[in-house]
Amino acid sequence: MLVLLVLSAVTLITLDQRGNTNAIQSLRDGANDAIAPVQSAVDGVFEPITDWWAGVTEASSLKRENARLERELAEATTAARRAAPLELENQELRNLAGLTSVADLDRITTEIVAGTPGNFGSTVQLNKGSEAGIAVGMPVVAGTGLAGRITSVSAKRATVLLLTDPDSQVGVRFTTNEALGLAQGRAASAMLTLSILLDPGAPNVEIDIPEGEVVVTAGLENGAFPAGLPVGRVDSAVTTGRDLDPRVLVEPLVNVSRLRFLDVLVWPVAGSEPGAGGGG
Amino acid sequence: MIQQIRLGLLVVALVIAQVALFPHLRVDGVAPDLGLVAAVAVAYRHGPEAGAIVGFGAGFLFDLFLRTPLGLSALAWALTGYIVGVISGGMLRTGWWAAPVLGAAGGLLGGSLFVLIGGLVGQDDLVTSNSVRVVLIAAAYDAVLAPVIFLLVRWALSDPRAARRAGGGGWAT
Repeated sequence: MLVLLVLSAVTLITLDQRGNTNAIQSLRDGANDAIAPVQSAVDGVFEPITDWWAGVTEASSLKRENARLERELAEATTAARRAAPLELENQELRNLAGLTSVADLDRITTEIVAGTPGNFGSTVQLNKGSEAGIAVGMPVVAGTGLAGRITSVSAKRATVLLLTDPDSQVGVRFTTNEALGLAQGRAASAMLTLSILLDPGAPNVEIDIPEGEVVVTAGLENGAFPAGLPVGRVDSAVTTGRDLDPRVLVEPLVNVSRLRFLDVLVWPVAGSEPGAGGGG
Repeated sequence: MIQQIRLGLLVVALVIAQVALFPHLRVDGVAPDLGLVAAVAVAYRHGPEAGAIVGFGAGFLFDLFLRTPLGLSALAWALTGYIVGVISGGMLRTGWWAAPVLGAAGGLLGGSLFVLIGGLVGQDDLVTSNSVRVVLIAAAYDAVLAPVIFLLVRWALSDPRAARRAGGGGWAT
């Protein structure tokens, strides 16, 4: 009997690994839809309790975070006022050139109904699925920062692979130079590892990446994300030259441990497939 | 037959609780493996083969909600049920400590097998130092919940006719 069970399990693993996933994906979608009402009910009951518990256990850090957010809001408001004329000019130029901005993309607002049921990986489940227009591969943002992308969808639910999952890879570029990089999730960490690729236009030139530099999605052709979505801030300064392969840490702009509402960007996905590594 | 139906429903209920309820009740970011503990409880009472079958079924159901390959939890939990059934065959059945000890041992074994087999089939991100922490916390959580799950399994596998003849409730065996 044990041999039969082991062979069955190995067969299932092999089929799933080799991509014969239509039947398996249908099973998973059916299971997710079947459990959706239970998850919604449990979420409704537990939301006040978890909020209260978070208030008790994280009161001091929430106070500090509130002060930091108020300061950042004041700075952002000032910066937004300064940038408004430039934004208008940018929009006019984009309209003339027929280009699409991230801000122009339609959004589907969703609520997180569950974290990952297992202990490995960073995913969350949304309360909407294909019935609301969500499709595999669509980028997911919280505010303006990238949070992850859709990896599976059933009729009523969608699963988001968060930036911090080790399977998540995002092609990024820097905002002060043309260098490219690859931001990847790390096991058991809220930070991303950034592998810096050199400036494609000037590969022999040293590049200075200052601390706090914001990285955004690169938006390369056939990439998994539109260009210009803010991803995170460089945690430590680095100078890279031709023969170096520096790896630095990037702190995501989105705090993935405190997410509740997420926007799914209705963005066409060219050539991506469920579970693919991503890219930018 | 009624026992098997009750056990099947119990396993489904435990997996639903694990998917819908326990993501809200994590300890240091870690949730317990209720289906695995049920397999251990069945193995303790009815031997390795029964434990392996329940472990496979519970693991398969749980796999439907995970991103890891379908069959990975099923394989790890079936092997755990079998091994625990073999080891507990020589244990005394009267100790109150049996449930938490076997729950912890099963959690440790099942979690380790999940990580190791996952690494073998290409899930490289499972094999990290953090996985040791996760498996240890999950095993401790399993140990805490094991007495309740052992009681539920005992009820599911009890013979209602025998219980009625004995004049007791459904918990008698």
